[in-house]
Amino acid sequence: MATTLGQEFGIRRVYDATPKKGAGVSLRLSDRQVELGTREFDLYEKVSERVPGIRSQKEVAAELGMDQAGLGRLLAALQSAGLVYRADAVPATLSGIELHTLFNKILPSWLDEAFSHPFWERMTSGKGSRRMYSGWLIELYHYTRNANRHMPLSCAYAHEKAIKNMRAKHYAEEWNHYHYFLKALKALGFSEDSVIKSVPLPMSLALSNFMRQAARDDILAYSICSAVLEGTTVDRGAYNPYYETCAKLYDLPAESIAPIYAHLDLDVQYQHSDLFLDILGKVDSIPAARAGHILDYGHQLIEHIWLWTDSIEKYYGVESNPMPRPAFSKLLD
Amino acid sequence: MEMQHPVLKRTAKVVHGKNDKLAIQYMGQEVTLEGAAAKLFDKMLPFLDGNTGIGGIAERISESPKRLQSLTQQLGKTGVLGFKDADNGERITGEQFYEIHRTYVNDWLQPIYDHPFWERVVTGKATRAQVLGFAFEKYHYIEGAFEHMAIAAANATPEMMPHLARHFIEEYNHGDIYRKGLQSLFPNDLILRAQPLPSTRALVNFLSESAARNSFGYYAGNELLQMTENTGEDTDNDSINDFYDAMRKHYPYTDKVIDAFIAHTNADQKLGHENVFLEMCQSIPPLTRTEVDDALNIVRSMAEHLYLFMDGIDTFYARFPTIPRAPCDLLSE
Repeated sequence: MATTLGQEFGIRRVYDATPKKGAGVSLRLSDRQVELGTREFDLYEKVSERVPGIRSQKEVAAELGMDQAGLGRLLAALQSAGLVYRADAVPATLSGIELHTLFNKILPSWLDEAFSHPFWERMTSGKGSRRMYSGWLIELYHYTRNANRHMPLSCAYAHEKAIKNMRAKHYAEEWNHYHYFLKALKALGFSEDSVIKSVPLPMSLALSNFMRQAARDDILAYSICSAVLEGTTVDRGAYNPYYETCAKLYDLPAESIAPIYAHLDLDVQYQHSDLFLDILGKVDSIPAARAGHILDYGHQLIEHIWLWTDSIEKYYGVESNPMPRPAFSKLLD
Repeated sequence: MEMQHPVLKRTAKVVHGKNDKLAIQYMGQEVTLEGAAAKLFDKMLPFLDGNTGIGGIAERISESPKRLQSLTQQLGKTGVLGFKDADNGERITGEQFYEIHRTYVNDWLQPIYDHPFWERVVTGKATRAQVLGFAFEKYHYIEGAFEHMAIAAANATPEMMPHLARHFIEEYNHGDIYRKGLQSLFPNDLILRAQPLPSTRALVNFLSESAARNSFGYYAGNELLQMTENTGEDTDNDSINDFYDAMRKHYPYTDKVIDAFIAHTNADQKLGHENVFLEMCQSIPPLTRTEVDDALNIVRSMAEHLYLFMDGIDTFYARFPTIPRAPCDLLSE
């Protein structure tokens, strides 16, 4: 059987594609910006759509109106631009520290993707609402409380003593942080009872279910997810303006913001963002397949965060939807 | 009489009309009141929260308790009112649960049938990524049987074990039917390694988590999913065939994929699963109020997860059109 393109090449993830003034498109990768003219971008799109297909190189070349040598030259050009890579160039193994270096390089692009949802722009431009802010906080409360559904599981399924200890310490330091969000919600006028008895949105539950899945599957996969989440809270410079702007725009009391700052400060104080490095420092060698699997969990978590945000905007954007969401009761419903 | 604490169902909507008429809309039905009954109900409305007894309400609105008792009893029979103190400690049979389940599920499924994604496909306005994404996510969801059906069988209560074992054994290979359709467009290896959307993962994980903790609740939730499948009845056949015809017309490359969808429907119909849930309900011991609420909470949440599954395909593939969703490797990010 003839070789397909996908057996030989892989496509780099493009985090953003922006049309250029005049003509062409600017593609943002994690480590570079690639400028393509209109024709080149069109060819790139056609190739990237066909790489995962079942056609042989000869058939793809014919579909693109070129011969195999022409397709080879196009692929070489895309490769040198950094948009495609040869599958056989993937290293067979790497150390834990090397994986962490790679993670650090790509994390900013991942976080940009996670927070690329229009919700954030909406909230900071005044097109959101106090209701939407509060809804987001309710879901954050659920997510934080549900840490108790996955953090201890990660201890149970970690096999090495050193990693078990690190995960256990992390859990001990984080398990009750949902109180900060409860405090903030009370300052916004919600009763403790209504918040405690409420049920999360499906995507909030999905986040903790995904973490449970990671915990059972691979402790390093769980740890990259945990590191992604810590990565969302370490930069006070990035998050303070969000809270401050929302407080001003939606008339939020200072008592509803203070507990969130206290929580962010505590996270920084515990240095949880270094935990992934400490854990990977205990791992001498990781085969490529496992490393890919770990990265995959990290990126899937990014996608979870994007869709979580989407769910929050959609649900709390409807004024008539209950807030907080009560559990179903046959008597009351 | 004081013991009767009437409560208007939280999802009921009271609509005031002209000439002393009012309508109470609840789960697809409408109860109309007029004249003296409408006036009386209107006066009672602020107290129908389950916290005040009939005698107390009568006193506050200066009405005869007898009149209130009569109206609340009649409204109770329609289902729009519940009584907080009623059937305390009473158990309901599995067959009664089956009827209650049917009523709620028909209401909870409505938003899924109304999702704009169906219309987008039928009118040819869906993108290639959304259409192929739909096929992939259906595959991932059906393939997810390996996870949740197996977990359900392994954690089954004694009454549920034969049902859940048979369920897994009959359905674990249905993902292969969808995979066959996708193989007309993508290499087998890539289909097997492709990643589901977070929303699809959310549905499969929710099924798995429910399966691990509540056998009956899990299957009650699963039954909601089964109720969306083609039952072979004429009305279902027509609407599903119309959908497939439109898909073939607007997206001719999905021809083999649709063949797979139909093959799966035929395989499901051959199994004759339509009475399985009723048989399960007949085989379980009577349920307490808490057990009913727990099971129905799972069912309602399943409906919300199914909506999320649909919405994820529509929303996520519109924003991130890469298809198939190849897993990460050390060079992809």
